[in-house]
Amino acid sequence: MPSDNSVIRVQALQKIFPGDVRAVDSVSFEVREGEVFGFLGPNGAGKTTTISILNTLMLPTGGRAEVLGFDVVTQASQVRKGIGLVPQDLTSDEELTGRENIELQSSLYHIPYSEANKRADELLALVGLTDSQHRVVKTYSGGMKKRLEFATGLVHNPKILFLDEPTLGLDIQTRTSIWEHIRKLRSESNMTIFVTTHYLEEADGLCDRIAIIDHGKIIALDTPDGLKKAVGGDVIEVEIAECNENVLEMIRSIKGVTLLEGKCSGNRARIKVPESNAALPLILEGFWSKKVAVLNVAVKKPSLDQAFLEYTGRELRDEDKGEGRKAGVAAAKKGRLFGRRR
Amino acid sequence: MLGETYALVVRDLRRWYRTPGQIILVFTTPLMWLLLFGQAFNIGKLAQGAPGIDIREVFGGATDYFSFMAVGQTTFIILFGSLFSGVSLIWDRKTGFLAKLQVAPISRASIPVSRMLSTVVKALLQAVVVLVLAAAFVFIPGLSGLRFSPDFGILEALGIALFLMLLGLSLAALFVALGLIVRNEETLFGMINLLNFPLMFTSSALIPIALMPEWLKTVAGYNPITFVVDGMRQLVFHTSIGAQYSVGVDFLGIAVFAALMISLGAVLSRKALLRS
Repeated sequence: MPSDNSVIRVQALQKIFPGDVRAVDSVSFEVREGEVFGFLGPNGAGKTTTISILNTLMLPTGGRAEVLGFDVVTQASQVRKGIGLVPQDLTSDEELTGRENIELQSSLYHIPYSEANKRADELLALVGLTDSQHRVVKTYSGGMKKRLEFATGLVHNPKILFLDEPTLGLDIQTRTSIWEHIRKLRSESNMTIFVTTHYLEEADGLCDRIAIIDHGKIIALDTPDGLKKAVGGDVIEVEIAECNENVLEMIRSIKGVTLLEGKCSGNRARIKVPESNAALPLILEGFWSKKVAVLNVAVKKPSLDQAFLEYTGRELRDEDKGEGRKAGVAAAKKGRLFGRRR
Repeated sequence: MLGETYALVVRDLRRWYRTPGQIILVFTTPLMWLLLFGQAFNIGKLAQGAPGIDIREVFGGATDYFSFMAVGQTTFIILFGSLFSGVSLIWDRKTGFLAKLQVAPISRASIPVSRMLSTVVKALLQAVVVLVLAAAFVFIPGLSGLRFSPDFGILEALGIALFLMLLGLSLAALFVALGLIVRNEETLFGMINLLNFPLMFTSSALIPIALMPEWLKTVAGYNPITFVVDGMRQLVFHTSIGAQYSVGVDFLGIAVFAALMISLGAVLSRKALLRS
């Protein structure tokens, strides 16, 4: 469904590394202007490869991709002018001060000196580095470096900002502050943000739409709510002295409750319903009326975690499976991308 | 092209002078060579007083070995600086800095060109330090010093700078390109070591050609460093006594070498920076 306000159009994009390693395997999607678009998947799923192709760092082996209406293969220099990248690694020059790094970036984007100066002031303030702007970057903490990286990517006010795993390996505090920056950016400008992550809560809290990518293929693309809905309902777990077929029969007979699934799991009854808010009181009433003592109740709203499990058949943090394939991708990409993983 | 090249040269120079101890190294390394090598190997003494020998024929116009080698020492500085010019690019690739440059809407050429220019600027500054230190030895009792011809002037100084710049640019062009191609330092260090000593010791930088065996004389005659030192000595001592070629031929020699190496470097760098 091509739409007029798409700023990224990807059609059947493919990247096969030597040795038939399919890092990106016929991927198609569109990103609309002004949205925060999430690319969610485990390590080695093809996120960074996709971002590298869209950023003109790598050539696809098949399909096509347009960024801001320009072809990433044949019109790379036009693409470069309109995009900003905050890579996974810390790429600031450690021997330069924070401010010098931002000024260097301004020169790379041909911003006139007076304007660059003003912009540096603004960005340093935005990421809270005004006080340490004249210190060399190697004296910065990991979080400060990441914030500087973020500011550097914004120097030329890009139309699309690419964030590759912006919070990977950061402590909770810094992660939260990076999220804050992204939200602020989102509300104050019409910048489109393309973010890759393998943190579910990050994708959930930030993104307007999320593509789940696994083994180089997009397996789902929807709003966070849409993805959760697809999981199919809330799960109510009721702990009782003993769960058996009689209890399940009793639950099935409760009026006004649409039961999607009901089963015993140890001494707990697992009840899956489309929506738990209305069903919960009715179910508890059912237990009380039959004099079954309820020891504990837990309601599990569908999460992206479950959505991911549903779509891929494995958990996101379950990174052991496919280790061999990942090693293949890593070997094929070695030295080609953003270099050393820190 | 100009804006980003300038910015990247400034970045390289800042990295250089901010490295702790860099300033000390700039002075001490040439000082060691001048003191230990230049003063110890005073081979001119051997020929002193021998009848019918003009020592200047052997020392390229210099009246003593120290003056001879001090001029040669500047090419040594340029050689080392430019051979190592590509190493930092390997680091820039590893840290992701290079990828950041490749994402930016800059001329691809600015990446190798800026590195070549910063290399030459650093090396030229060090060469000036060598010449000034060597000349200052004149005032230290017991040491021989570099004796410039009284006719040495600004034109000669510019000529020397031009010779050294061309030598630096040609080697840096190749080694910056290698730094973009090679992915690990060890391989590059191997290549540097392979070229380092042969280039140095088959030239007339430290050893007079007159003292070399015939086969080495032939090799030295085509060594680009020989063109540079031969031309520079004629400018410093203001005489063509003991010269291999005329200054014009020396200049032509290094200019042709530079043109070849820069073309080769451009082709290799371009290829290395192409997307795959």
